[in-house]
Amino acid sequence: MKKKTGIVPWLVAAVVMFAGVNVACAVEDTPQVSGQPAAVVAPTITIDKTQLNNGGTIKVSGQVPAGKPVYLEVYAADHTVRASRFDADPDKETGVRPYKFYITSEMPAYYKIFVPKDLQAKIDEEAKKKNKWSYSELLKNLGAEAAYSVPAKAKIDSYQSTLMASIIGSRGDLLPTLDAKENRKRSMQLVKARFRKINNVFAAAIDVKPDGSYTADVNVREGLAPGHYKIVAVVDGNAKSEAATFENKIEFPNVYLANAGTNLNIFYPFFLTLAVAIFGVLMGAGGGFIMNPLLLTLFPALPHTIVAGTVTPTVLFSQASGIFNYSKIKFINWKLGCGIGAAMLLGGFIGPKLTEMITLDQFKFAFGWILIVLAALMLWQTTPGYLAKNKKEQAILKEFKKRAEEAAQGKK
Amino acid sequence: MKIEFWGQEFKVNMVVGCIGGFLIAIMSSMFGFGGGPFMVPLMTVALRLPMYLVVGSSLLAIFFNTSISTMRHYQFGNFDLYFFLAMFPAAILGGYLAPQIAKRVSPLVVKRIACVGLILLALNLLGVY
Repeated sequence: MKKKTGIVPWLVAAVVMFAGVNVACAVEDTPQVSGQPAAVVAPTITIDKTQLNNGGTIKVSGQVPAGKPVYLEVYAADHTVRASRFDADPDKETGVRPYKFYITSEMPAYYKIFVPKDLQAKIDEEAKKKNKWSYSELLKNLGAEAAYSVPAKAKIDSYQSTLMASIIGSRGDLLPTLDAKENRKRSMQLVKARFRKINNVFAAAIDVKPDGSYTADVNVREGLAPGHYKIVAVVDGNAKSEAATFENKIEFPNVYLANAGTNLNIFYPFFLTLAVAIFGVLMGAGGGFIMNPLLLTLFPALPHTIVAGTVTPTVLFSQASGIFNYSKIKFINWKLGCGIGAAMLLGGFIGPKLTEMITLDQFKFAFGWILIVLAALMLWQTTPGYLAKNKKEQAILKEFKKRAEEAAQGKK
Repeated sequence: MKIEFWGQEFKVNMVVGCIGGFLIAIMSSMFGFGGGPFMVPLMTVALRLPMYLVVGSSLLAIFFNTSISTMRHYQFGNFDLYFFLAMFPAAILGGYLAPQIAKRVSPLVVKRIACVGLILLALNLLGVY
């Protein structure tokens, strides 16, 4: 995007700055899987169908050397999505908060590792940590590190955020390119940031027989990216099968939302917006207040950044038409509107940056409280004291509006 | 700051207005809503302006905020075209239909329903149920 081109001089500055502060912070080293003797035979893989309609189950079977666990790495080959994470957790050793922002646009739109069925207990154990689960730890516990390869190669940009940079609404200074090991480690955090739930990225579904033959039901959920998917069977770092390819087809009215990385029936948001827009006008608040939380609740697959970023322009047009209607009858004080508008311009510049830096849970938490405040405001507007005052105000409002309309008509 | 509106003069404390507007703008652009329900109380209660002055002018102030935050969201790649195209016509249609319905329902009832609905949504977001 445009942003990347202008950043080259910053990069130089960043390299100079970074030279002195490059603290080694490799805490969770990933042990290199030592190469097995050359005798290892590459696993084989066959799948029972090559096409799915908006999700479904594919039977995978094949042969691996006897006595070894087998893992299936499944990913979308045609579509990538963005994943970002703001690292503000204190460093385990120094206690310093790094305030670094990691972002990649090369995360596969679907990524999941299937493991043997007997490892289900380990997944359940990690699931007990609720939102605190760690992708890298679970990967290590499952012994599936060799299977993790595609996201590790995604190019990650990292930025050093500062308070000043946040105030002017920038991501911060671009840091030098991560080395392969660091890239791999950060990519795991991004996988979690993007897919959030364990069930989205791990499943225990493979039956391995003592003789090394295996079968698995690879279940691809609804609402995913269309296009080609690849499945690779992995025994260890050196022994990988050829990639088996299948295609996921989606048909209208299901439409793939490229930035959100998910497909959904386009009529759902249409009717939802219609209902919310009507209700919004009736209650005297823009639809955005109800639209955002509803979308997040009903379509958990949509990232909150996309929801906020797409609802905003929708609201924009209803505001513009409102302003147009009021300005026709000269019912706007431009001096007052522009004065406060200038201050809001600054705020609006900073806000979207912050959306990107918070996680979905923080987003939901803050939004929850905003809604409670809003509900309190609404309640206050139904109290008798307010109603009595409001009645007078509304009468004056109508009177002035009438005068304004007459004046506007008189001119024509 | 003094402003004139339909033959009457008002004194406006712009410091309060701008700080309040700034904070509301950060919040509303961050979470992707307009901010009207917060802006109107700010201008009527904190700035003591009459309703008929506020309705139009608050909309103008919010418009500044929404347009810049739309640009910024777009710049950060938070905008999805198809998703927008699904919601946008519905929002316009809703805008036309709503005034027809508004004549038939009491705003008091709508606000009370909204109250309950908002609390339910809030509790859901906070993970209470």
